[in-house]
Amino acid sequence: MGELWMVMLARREMVLATGAGFLLPAWARAASSASLRAQTLVIAVASDPVGLEPAVNRAEPIGSEIILNVFDTLVAWGDASQTMPEPRLARSWTVSPDGCVTTFQLRTDVSFHDGTACDAEAVKFSLDRSLTHNSYTRASLDAVQAVTVTGRWIVEIRLSRPIPFLLTLLAQPQAAIVSPTAVRSMGAAFANTPVGSGPFRICHYDPDVSLILDAVPTYFRGAPGMRRIVYLVIADASTRRLMLENGDIDICQQNGQLSALPMEDLKAYRRNPAIQVIEAPSQIMRQLEFNNRAAGGPTRDLRVRRAMALAVDYDGLIDGVMDGTVDRAYGPLPSSNWAYDPTMERTAFHYDPVQARRLLREAGYAPGSIHLTLYTFQGSLWATVATFLQANFAAVGLDVRIEQVEFPSLRTIQTGGHFEVALDGREAWYNDPDAHITIGYLSSLADTAMTFRMPPDRALDGLILEAQSCPDPVRRKALYGEIQHRIMDRVPGIYLFSNRVIVFARADIRGLKLSGAPPLTEYRSVHRDPAAGTGP
Amino acid sequence: MSLYLGRRLLAVVPVLALVLVMVFGLTRLIPGDPAVTLLGPGATNAQLNALRHQLHLDEPEARQFLSYVGGLAHGDFGTSLKTGQPISRALATRLPATIELSVTALLMALAVGIPFGVWAARRPEGPLDQALRLVALAGVSVPAFLLALGLQYAFGVWLGWLPVAGRTDPWEIRTGITGFVMLDAVLEGDGSALWDAIRHVLLPASVLASFLAATLSRFVRNTMIATMTSDYIRTARAKGLQERAVIVRHALRNAILPAVTVIGLQFGDMLGGAILTETVFSWPGLGRYTFEAIRNRDYPAIQGATLVFALMFVLTSLLVDLIALRLDPRLRRQSR
Repeated sequence: MGELWMVMLARREMVLATGAGFLLPAWARAASSASLRAQTLVIAVASDPVGLEPAVNRAEPIGSEIILNVFDTLVAWGDASQTMPEPRLARSWTVSPDGCVTTFQLRTDVSFHDGTACDAEAVKFSLDRSLTHNSYTRASLDAVQAVTVTGRWIVEIRLSRPIPFLLTLLAQPQAAIVSPTAVRSMGAAFANTPVGSGPFRICHYDPDVSLILDAVPTYFRGAPGMRRIVYLVIADASTRRLMLENGDIDICQQNGQLSALPMEDLKAYRRNPAIQVIEAPSQIMRQLEFNNRAAGGPTRDLRVRRAMALAVDYDGLIDGVMDGTVDRAYGPLPSSNWAYDPTMERTAFHYDPVQARRLLREAGYAPGSIHLTLYTFQGSLWATVATFLQANFAAVGLDVRIEQVEFPSLRTIQTGGHFEVALDGREAWYNDPDAHITIGYLSSLADTAMTFRMPPDRALDGLILEAQSCPDPVRRKALYGEIQHRIMDRVPGIYLFSNRVIVFARADIRGLKLSGAPPLTEYRSVHRDPAAGTGP
Repeated sequence: MSLYLGRRLLAVVPVLALVLVMVFGLTRLIPGDPAVTLLGPGATNAQLNALRHQLHLDEPEARQFLSYVGGLAHGDFGTSLKTGQPISRALATRLPATIELSVTALLMALAVGIPFGVWAARRPEGPLDQALRLVALAGVSVPAFLLALGLQYAFGVWLGWLPVAGRTDPWEIRTGITGFVMLDAVLEGDGSALWDAIRHVLLPASVLASFLAATLSRFVRNTMIATMTSDYIRTARAKGLQERAVIVRHALRNAILPAVTVIGLQFGDMLGGAILTETVFSWPGLGRYTFEAIRNRDYPAIQGATLVFALMFVLTSLLVDLIALRLDPRLRRQSR
């Protein structure tokens, strides 16, 4: 009996010891985990951050944002209020009289995360590399003839023709500066754990699940306010909302061309004191596009297109459907664009169903005789906008059927020209009218994606090309003013609204500065305010 | 027995071959173009064509298929169109998460479904039976996404007891040995990590388990009622055995045999349900991987994930048959 007791005691001690082994470290680890959570910014995104390094990134929203937090560019956008990029790796710059040579004087106190210096050789290496490997960079910086090192801290960019918005292009993530040493030593691994000089460095990446960035305390502009950033891929919108309400995540992003913001979520967030809704104007446009190269069909008639533009209840759409989260678009440029011509507000279409019906009668179309298919993206918001437009068109006697398709299918339909009307969007990735006008309306680009499929028009094409390279900002603005009116005369589409960039954040998050074009956020200045009392 | 096993394993090959052909064909029927998805809105036609060539998407379908099968023969599932990384590596990372979730869900379903079935069978049409029938009806008929949302709200937001989504706390970097986070936590003696993993798995496993638990409870109830009227049960009672022993040792043992087949089949359904559950709960398993692959038109990833799902289903069926064989001597005789 005594032996049995001893065995039982020994077993009990062993169980207790094992339990203590689990419990004691568990207690200590839980405290450390809570502390780490408080210093971590958890950001929910809808899809995997594709394109984490400048030479492969093709304007993927999340990958682009990560690049701007891990790397530096020669110049950068500070926040949405700026009209010109600010110095970053470049301390200053000069432009030659012909506008073809820009010389950058670099900072001398910047190092990459691997300890090597960020000098002119690194700038040349990075830009040449992106121009060689990245078709997106090649397309936007096609006029770059040579990047030349003229001193350890001086670099010169020579162009074949002036690009008035060169600085804007150099602020893009694809022009970020990488560590040449890391590129050479890491090989293929560089794609997922690239090395830059930014305020954060990539620490851990689990594709489609999460990406972890750790702060660089020695960053030349000052240490970031948070110790760690975690990007969590949460595909389901309702899960993102619950996690934000629960405090599991700190920021819920809605950027990206195809992301649609459910209005009921927005209303719920606005009522929730634990969540702040941060907004900034953007260069995003939402519009209804006509197939301007269609061989036949009623929308070939200018009167039908004008009638459709007059049939839209713009105020109802903006205030009723979009709950005031968007701004009216009066023409091909959003009103926040520097080249926007305010006189467009007078010439733009306004809701007038009587006039719309009269124009349709003039064009010879009886009510119910026009049948159109309206293509758009999938998602509840696109469906809501399309349904609203469908009702507007029905009120003037147009029969419109809605066809919602996924993005790749819509693109195939558009580039193939197999549509008459499409509800679509444009998200400019550099803050210049060129990003809207050239891509959307230059007739030689008609067969590429997301254009209005404009027919050849020597006068308009000439103006677009002239404005694209005009070095004089005053003349350039005047050219874009003329272009906007000429485009409106042709009614190639119906301009609906420009979305604001909207980010949902927990109430204790401070220092978040949103950029409107592109809608990418830097997190260096973000920190947590414990006094807000809504943190983890 | 070994002859039977050999025969069954051989039968797996044509099944997988058929799955392979079907999946390859069906993925090509999904509308959309992977190159468009990868390059995004701003891509020119020249860029798209270059990418299609680079990814061999401009080759005839037959050649693409033969090249894929050739790779599979060497254990190569191909390369993801989206990430450029080997599919096999991604599958190896995702599979443990799905197995962990499915096995937890299976255990939960067994722990709930069998006792509920037995309790209901003790007093057929009694109040407990009626109540459990309602619960089972709810378990079968409530859509998984709705149940998921309800559980997330109730236990995550309202009560604040459990995390809304994820497999572990995301701000901590944990690199395990096996890929099974619970097993890794035990192996490393990390109680905090084990508790974290258990808290995260409970809600998605409950959703995944609900249908099986409900089906199983009704199935066990019915077979138990039939068994309880058998002669051998009457004999057992006549011998003076306690009711508990009659139920557990005699009735349940015989009633559970047909349930094993049901469990096997339903486990296959559960794997299919993992696609929705893992997506809603952001569970980094094979289901979510499949969802993302379909969304990105990542053909090799869709094919690889579907093949693994098919293999898991076939192996589960085989395992169920072997368990049935082990439990029922009559089947053993037939298999010879």
